[in-house]
Amino acid sequence: MDEFQARATIFRFDPTSGQPSRYEQFELPVTKNMRVLDVLRSIYETQAGDLAFQYACRVGRCGTCAVIVNGRPVLACQERVKPKMKIEPLSPFPVLRDLIIDYSEAEKRYSDLNLAPIAAGGSTAPAQDARGRATFAPDHAREVGLMGSCLACMVCVSACPAVKERAFDGPAYMLQLRRLSEHPADHGARLEQALDGGLLECFSCGACAEVCPADLSPADAIRDFRREMLLGQKRHKHSNGEDS
Amino acid sequence: MPVPNEPRVERTDVLVIGTGGAGLRAAIEAHDRGAQVTLVAKGLARATHTRMSGGRYNVVSGIVADDHTDIFFQDTVAAGARINNQLLVRILVDEALERAYDLEAYGLAWERKTATDYLVVASGGGTRLRTIGSFDEGIGVSEVMLHQVFRRQVRLREHHMLVDLIGDDQNRIVGALVLDLAHGQWIIYDCGAVVIATGGASQLYATNSGPVFNTGDGIAVAYRAGAELVDIEFMQFIPIAFAYPPTAKGYTLTEPQHYGMRHYEVHGEPGKLFNSLGERFILKHDSVQREGGTRDILARAIMLEILEGRGSAEGGVWLEPDPKVFESFLRERPIYVKRILENYGEQEARFLSRFQVMPSALYTTGGIRIDSTGHTTLPGLFAAGEAAGGVHGANRLGGSSMPDIQVFGRRAGMAAAQEALDCVDRPAPDIRLGLERAAKLDSALHRSEGLRPPALKRKIQDLMWQNVGLVRNGQGLADALRTFAEFREQILPHLSISSQTRVMNREWMEAIELENLLALGECMASAALTRTETRGSHYRQDFPEGNDGDWVANLYVCRDDGRPKVKKRPVVSLTQSHQSHESLKGARNG
Repeated sequence: MDEFQARATIFRFDPTSGQPSRYEQFELPVTKNMRVLDVLRSIYETQAGDLAFQYACRVGRCGTCAVIVNGRPVLACQERVKPKMKIEPLSPFPVLRDLIIDYSEAEKRYSDLNLAPIAAGGSTAPAQDARGRATFAPDHAREVGLMGSCLACMVCVSACPAVKERAFDGPAYMLQLRRLSEHPADHGARLEQALDGGLLECFSCGACAEVCPADLSPADAIRDFRREMLLGQKRHKHSNGEDS
Repeated sequence: MPVPNEPRVERTDVLVIGTGGAGLRAAIEAHDRGAQVTLVAKGLARATHTRMSGGRYNVVSGIVADDHTDIFFQDTVAAGARINNQLLVRILVDEALERAYDLEAYGLAWERKTATDYLVVASGGGTRLRTIGSFDEGIGVSEVMLHQVFRRQVRLREHHMLVDLIGDDQNRIVGALVLDLAHGQWIIYDCGAVVIATGGASQLYATNSGPVFNTGDGIAVAYRAGAELVDIEFMQFIPIAFAYPPTAKGYTLTEPQHYGMRHYEVHGEPGKLFNSLGERFILKHDSVQREGGTRDILARAIMLEILEGRGSAEGGVWLEPDPKVFESFLRERPIYVKRILENYGEQEARFLSRFQVMPSALYTTGGIRIDSTGHTTLPGLFAAGEAAGGVHGANRLGGSSMPDIQVFGRRAGMAAAQEALDCVDRPAPDIRLGLERAAKLDSALHRSEGLRPPALKRKIQDLMWQNVGLVRNGQGLADALRTFAEFREQILPHLSISSQTRVMNREWMEAIELENLLALGECMASAALTRTETRGSHYRQDFPEGNDGDWVANLYVCRDDGRPKVKKRPVVSLTQSHQSHESLKGARNG
């Protein structure tokens, strides 16, 4: 296999040490098909037992290993190894230690958005009378399912220029609001929520879709919301199996 | 800024450990039954096995005319080699549909064939098409439940690791010692009931298909506290997983049948497996089901080829997919196609070329012994999902863990809430035991000489793969037990940790995990040594046949003088448990 020597420059910071943050360099042999996560694991196992980094699934599903590699937000488990890598914690989030960020603000945002279906009349109790199989056209269910594949990894939020400059929650939240907006069981005011979250602040640059490790497009969700705002239409909503 | 390390005491009615499907479902139910719930996860809430799964869900939904819950029951017991706890199986098959509807009410978009009928497909070992799923797979399942937890404002604590349970003088569980890994802070929970939903122990094997957090903490902690384990000798291996690169190695490729017409037709040809001599070796083992049989048979057949030198240099064999099913496979499982493309190449991803596959540790079939309410053998302690045992017997049907975690997560949450609300004026736990243990683990931070935790983890994983894996024998199991005892006595107490930081100290976390892995390795090897036959996923080279006369029975393991003690008992059958089941049904409907 194509082996080469890689150099990783890694952000180090321990809030309990009283020391400022710094960068530390590591050299290690790698093979071409290794991922950045392999590099971090190897450094942890053989060079720096005190390196703080997190991951769980290794295959791009849990979304917990997001870092910035050479200036670009990525999942460490998906990003291929490079000869020179500068590895930093995902911005703009507070750092717990080294490469581990504090996701609690992001989690709180999800929680505040109330992203479970809201019944007609605004009731959030699971509707007992509506139990069983709802009418849900196959293509429509698939589309809602596709938006449900979001990893919540915050890679798109990190890459979004509008998040940096304006009062915009970020693409990931818009995508989940859109998922609910397209969900036949949801009667929440999702467009209004999206507007409150800064829907109109998005630059439509498409950076979110470009970096998404799950190949989703929050940009499309934002565009659909804007269309709905202008034309007052949803694409499916009343899913009877004929409109999609 | 100094970090506080004095334990903090927090009171809650129900403490749920784990944020996979079982933990989330237990938390939702316990909350809805009036209990104040605290839900903790060792990592982030999304870092779970449920999230990694395909989310395929076995259920008799009325769509396939000739299916029935009795047939689902029979398939489950047949796959489990007739040692399942039949009471638990009956509950699983009876309640799976209601729990699928719960998920739909939570917002999951089950895939449809028509606007009102679910899309139903086959899964390994099932005799009918009965598996439903959603396009967002395990991600969708976990996400819709997480948002239900958010809606209920259940107290959710991430980076909180269960370290030990605290019992009263009658060994009723009244609390738990938890380490907040993000702050190095010890927390003692004072609670009316604990639900263990920490998942399995696939990290016992280096080639595994689970998240790095699944070190069997909850199972080992319950065992240390005195709870009984059941069927712990059974570890399910997924037959086909990626063989390389390192990050993806061990990650599931599901089942060979999904790569052929078998996925759509009961008699269709599955994806075909070949060894390095180009032989379709499965025909030696199962000429009827071929590559569409149960996971245990497939995984063992592949492992034997590899062990006997007919595998690839990377330690795998070759899967030949049927290009005819590519389009529909892509539609149903685009994530897999993407992964095959990234890890192997375009020809492989288009099903135009064979690619390498190898078995991988997937699912801890046994676990903490539970009754129909999720109650363990210790008062105040409940368990559900992969951490619990008994539902699947000696081997699990593909697609049955999803209904398991929903059905039994809900039951455990319900019973735990009841238990906690019945004892609201309970005395506070004696926190001295927790304090002692915390102080001991704190002292590990100050040892700088000795083996580092990742090195011991590798030793354990290698030994498990070689001696307590897919192919076992008496000699190897006895050797493993000796070596584990040595690790426990000579290495574990002297592990070194590189840094004294209390914040996100991975080596410190691993040191605590290793005690759990070692305990489970010993339990698994002890039970596997005792079961002198071959059944389900447990294969003994020295006893290659099943022995129904002696072994249609379960092994229970409990801790005795610090060592696993193995007891054999008859299988829990429906006839003997019929009465209690009926009374439960009455209680449910009433």
